[in-house]
Amino acid sequence: MIPDIKAWARKYESLTNNDETIAAMARYYTCSFIFDMEHARILIEMHDGKVKRIETNAGPMDASDFLLRASAATWREFSRPIPLPMYHGIWSASFRRDLKIEGNHLVLMQNLRNFTIQFELLRKSGVPV
Amino acid sequence: MAKHSPVTGRYVTIDVDGMEYKVFYLQNGTGTPLVCQHTAGCHNHQWRGLLEDDEITRHYNVIAYDLPRHGKSDPPHNVEWWKQEYRLTADHYVNFIVTLCDALGLRDPIFMGSSFGGNVALQLALRRPNRFKAVIPVEAAANSPGFFLDWWRHPHANAAQVCASGVWDLMAPQSPDMDRWLTWFYYTQGSEAFKGDLYFYSVDHDLRDELKNIDGRRCPVVMMTGTYDYLTTPEESEATARQIPGGVYIEMEDIGHFPMSENYPVFRIYLKEALRIIRERTTK
Repeated sequence: MIPDIKAWARKYESLTNNDETIAAMARYYTCSFIFDMEHARILIEMHDGKVKRIETNAGPMDASDFLLRASAATWREFSRPIPLPMYHGIWSASFRRDLKIEGNHLVLMQNLRNFTIQFELLRKSGVPV
Repeated sequence: MAKHSPVTGRYVTIDVDGMEYKVFYLQNGTGTPLVCQHTAGCHNHQWRGLLEDDEITRHYNVIAYDLPRHGKSDPPHNVEWWKQEYRLTADHYVNFIVTLCDALGLRDPIFMGSSFGGNVALQLALRRPNRFKAVIPVEAAANSPGFFLDWWRHPHANAAQVCASGVWDLMAPQSPDMDRWLTWFYYTQGSEAFKGDLYFYSVDHDLRDELKNIDGRRCPVVMMTGTYDYLTTPEESEATARQIPGGVYIEMEDIGHFPMSENYPVFRIYLKEALRIIRERTTK
């Protein structure tokens, strides 16, 4: 567990902005999404492959293109360096575990390459729940 | 000095259900034919490790073809295929494989396929048990609903990337980055066929009431599934194998839905065991 959510946000932003695989195709990676972790609700806005803003206490009126919702226990599984089977991605966890993908799926699909890479950075940053 | 691979590629033209197909296949080795089907929306480079595995090709004639509409195998040349939506059926798929094996003059081949190739291996064991020495359905199950999705060729998204990244976490995180990204790369090339392939995989393929009619003694069935496969899970594959008289199930640790492509050194350990079981069961 990472108690300081602001420190987590800085680390996740740095990992994202310095990731070479995202940088290799960063242009137009522009979208916003919420990680709903049961005990934390985090809004992340991306612009051309870089983090534009991370809101660590997103409220009910904070909007995003899409949202990922799961129990805190599932988010902790996502953040293992090598996740267990079925916790190793958003597809596996939404097919076989409690992850729900909400909002505009089209935006997710339009940005799927980079979002998938960024999501896996949770294995390096951990999660704040 | 040029460094050539022993693998060679050829085309063969066949007629299947009135469709004229010019089929591309890669081949290496001598001995029992081992016919390999790639996964949906992909092509025969998924078998690159097996094709150059001396220990296997010393005893097996490995043939990995591109299904029509994949890789270097064109859509049919004698029909206006662009005027209708592609949907692969079990009947056509089985007819294609049998016709190809006949055209290549293969005697008692072993058929191996992964994912939708694994599912058709089960279909072959049911429908044509006398034509094949054995089948190895990899990442297969009696049925596999849920993946016939519009997203694979949605005009508002980059279909190449949706298909490639949409199957990303079908692979295990332990698999080497290079091999996972090569598999990703292959998947960027098959988006036009992926959804139509998945019509067979998720819609037309349903053997839940037929497994008991597969004779695993006449045509041995050795199923293998990776622990990171969320589409056809190890539990589903095992349940399928247990309902096939004589069926065998092997669980593959720390590998996913594209085992031959995402981590061949791990896959070959299990493949050698599958081939050993088949030898044991088919040696007179």
